[in-house]
Amino acid sequence: MPSQKQTTRAPALLRALGVDNSADMRGTLYVLLLLAALLLTPIVVGDDFVYHVFITICLFAGLATAWNIVGGFAGQLSLGHAMYYGIGAYTGMILVNAGITPWIGMFVGAAVSAVVGVLIAYPCFRLKGPFYALASIAFLEVFHVLAIELKWLTGGATGKMVPLQVGWEWMIFRERLPSLIIVFGMLCFTLVVAQVIRHRRLGFYLIATRERESAARAAGIPTVRVRIYAAAISAALVSILGTFHAMYLTFIEPDAAFNLVFSIQIVLFALVGGIGTVFGPLLGAILLVPITEISRGLLGASALGLHGFVYGVILMLVVVFMPDGIVRVLPQRLRAAMDPEEFDDTRGEALDDEAMGEMHPESVKTGERPPVGREVLRVDHLVKNFGGLAVTQDVSLTLREGEVLGIIGPNGAGKTTLFNMLSGFLAADGGSVAVMDANGNVHQPQTPADFVGLGVGRTFQIVQPFASMTVEENIMVGAFHRHPGVDAARAAAREIAEELGMARYLHEEARNLPIGGLKRLEVARVMAMRPRILLLDEVMAGINPSDLLEAIRLIKAIRDTGVSIIAIEHVMRAVMDLSDRVVVINSGAVIAEGDPETVVRDEAVIEAYLGKEHGNA
Amino acid sequence: MDLVFTNIVNGLMLGALYAIVSVGLTLVFGIVKVINFAHGEFLMVSMFLVYLVTTFFGVHPYFSLILVLPAAFVMGMLVQRLLIEPLQNSDEHIMIFATVGLSIALINLMLLIFGPDILNTPSSGLRQPVNIGSGMFLTGQLNILICAIAVVGGIHLFLTRTQLGRSIRATGQNRSAAQLMGINVSWIYMVTFGIGAACVGLAAVLIAPLYPTSPEVGQYFVLLSFVVVVMGGLGSITGALVASMIIGLVDAFAGFYLGANVKDLVVFGIFLLVLIFRPQGLFGGARNLSHVS
Repeated sequence: MPSQKQTTRAPALLRALGVDNSADMRGTLYVLLLLAALLLTPIVVGDDFVYHVFITICLFAGLATAWNIVGGFAGQLSLGHAMYYGIGAYTGMILVNAGITPWIGMFVGAAVSAVVGVLIAYPCFRLKGPFYALASIAFLEVFHVLAIELKWLTGGATGKMVPLQVGWEWMIFRERLPSLIIVFGMLCFTLVVAQVIRHRRLGFYLIATRERESAARAAGIPTVRVRIYAAAISAALVSILGTFHAMYLTFIEPDAAFNLVFSIQIVLFALVGGIGTVFGPLLGAILLVPITEISRGLLGASALGLHGFVYGVILMLVVVFMPDGIVRVLPQRLRAAMDPEEFDDTRGEALDDEAMGEMHPESVKTGERPPVGREVLRVDHLVKNFGGLAVTQDVSLTLREGEVLGIIGPNGAGKTTLFNMLSGFLAADGGSVAVMDANGNVHQPQTPADFVGLGVGRTFQIVQPFASMTVEENIMVGAFHRHPGVDAARAAAREIAEELGMARYLHEEARNLPIGGLKRLEVARVMAMRPRILLLDEVMAGINPSDLLEAIRLIKAIRDTGVSIIAIEHVMRAVMDLSDRVVVINSGAVIAEGDPETVVRDEAVIEAYLGKEHGNA
Repeated sequence: MDLVFTNIVNGLMLGALYAIVSVGLTLVFGIVKVINFAHGEFLMVSMFLVYLVTTFFGVHPYFSLILVLPAAFVMGMLVQRLLIEPLQNSDEHIMIFATVGLSIALINLMLLIFGPDILNTPSSGLRQPVNIGSGMFLTGQLNILICAIAVVGGIHLFLTRTQLGRSIRATGQNRSAAQLMGINVSWIYMVTFGIGAACVGLAAVLIAPLYPTSPEVGQYFVLLSFVVVVMGGLGSITGALVASMIIGLVDAFAGFYLGANVKDLVVFGIFLLVLIFRPQGLFGGARNLSHVS
């Protein structure tokens, strides 16, 4: 099924927003229609209450969209986002009382919120799931208490009012229309920001980090930094909406501004619409806000708690019956509109191994093999202990340019630990790893990012796909290392996929690939980074015999482009065929080294694999 | 010196209160691997139940235990069966939302039924002060302390000495392996959730005569429960007891010297430090966290 992506090219302005084909353009049209309805309905109806409902929809849609940048894209479940809303509200309110217009105040609040967001995100980036949620609640409570305690600034528990001044410069109006226009503009701005992030490198990096942090680091993603960016952007956007809302309400108090239930409402809209999608939160707010606002409007105080009860019940029903949100149950076309990046994945049927069999690369280009060159990687006396267990004892080895070095050894010999030290995932207890850059200068990289920067790429023995991303997006994450632009990265990813015979599956979600496909994806992702030094951790394991030949040819082809390779491998046929030299590791120490034929006859090696008696036999 | 003693007594009493509320939370987390954000609402609903039973029948509040304990147990089992079990294999964040949703729904349901007013369960002499030197506490508070220690000890014995307890621990450590050993995992989870909720039921019976009952009362207790449960190492029952006492003492001293609001800052500050630097808890090894990440 040919992709529709290349049929029409969208205009440059739209392409900047991630709208790059006819389907995306159709999606944009739907979204624009929806937004137009949001703005025009109250104007046409003209009723004050209708205005109020639509203003509230825009507000919550904006808040949920902004939350989604952290909660959806980055996967960090913040239940404390009301604190940025509160900071924005209070900053605007305090400044307006000091005679400074909220048009400036909202940016001051945004700056404060962004700083707070960064200060919170930095220590918390390691916390996952419920722990992150708990931390965010605790921070919210801290701000709640501060808002009550810092009376000279915030007016304490009684709250703060705007001075009586009306007009555009104070963002306070007698009629509702200007407020609607302002909040609608803020919503559109937030949607544009979310859309741009999702379609640029940052969005890919955030989702990759959410899906598999270690694979993301191996792809050279600065995982901490991208999360901090997301936190700052999200906090600033929420804060701006907070400033607006304070002016709209003309009054704020700590209990309302730093409110946990308010935080949860924001999350609820995103969840109902579809977490991690760009336009899902908008949809969630459009669907839910009217229900609750109307019930509140009709029943008033007599139904205290009713709308909260409805929220709670909807939340439970959604997670049980529709955990991916409304976007996922929309018909294909509408869904494409709300979630443009995902529109073209196939129906999501799992591929079987037979289907993968058709993935043979038709022609792996084999060129002339360049001669083995100078040293590119040198390991000296590497030592690593886990507690009392010496996993790596005094391992030394070297790798030359264009060479394939095979590493074999029984299970538990410490091969993967060695790889982890050769890629910065583990710090060695002793010894050193030196990598020469393209100009021959010697470096001693420490972190995964350092290694990636020097052109060291690795695969993982246990495959680590970004499961919810398509094959193309997975490879793009690697390609971004060299091509910051989305278009260039996409082109590079397609090229790699073509080379590795995965072109037909570009738009398949990685979670649907069988193991052989995932292994290949692992290689494709690292190849997209165009590494100079490639560390392959058992890429042949579990491949069927006919694919094995193909895989061997593929690695030879990679080698012939001048890439130096270290391969951990159990499949002896591959080891014998590929390796220029073989290093045998047992119990963390090198027990033999040399060309493949010599090594397999080595007595110590036979003993290590088969035991002493066989060695003597 | 007298003041210090007063605060220590006060702190231990507060600690006992946090401990009795948190035991169920940490048990459920340790076995079912769910952080129950609706835990405080279990307490709140149970407290309303205590109020209703006590005022309706005109009995001593402790008498309501006969009804409240089974009711809480069944409530826990139903929540596990109807809400948590269908989500057992979904993402972590889905589970968070599920219990958050339950929490909001229960708070507002009670608000709908009983309104925002505070209800007071008759104290039946449990607010009688007892003086030891400069220290003063209520008889009801002493009962909480005794019960907290008894419950922690009782659950520990139950988990280590009985066949059901061993099955529960096995399920907590490895669900699939337990299943292979013929343990009905789904039933074990329901029982565990039930026991966790029953602990809260007991807590409610003890707390209701001393504290006012309102739809928001659970929110007040649950945040502190999270604090002590994380500090003690999620899933560690004795850890939660020790952490409760620490937080109780911090609470008492900070409340006395710094004031009620700043006290909250101190408590949440400690909580955040623990979360960031020792998310596995003050006493636990990394093991406690392994099943979370």
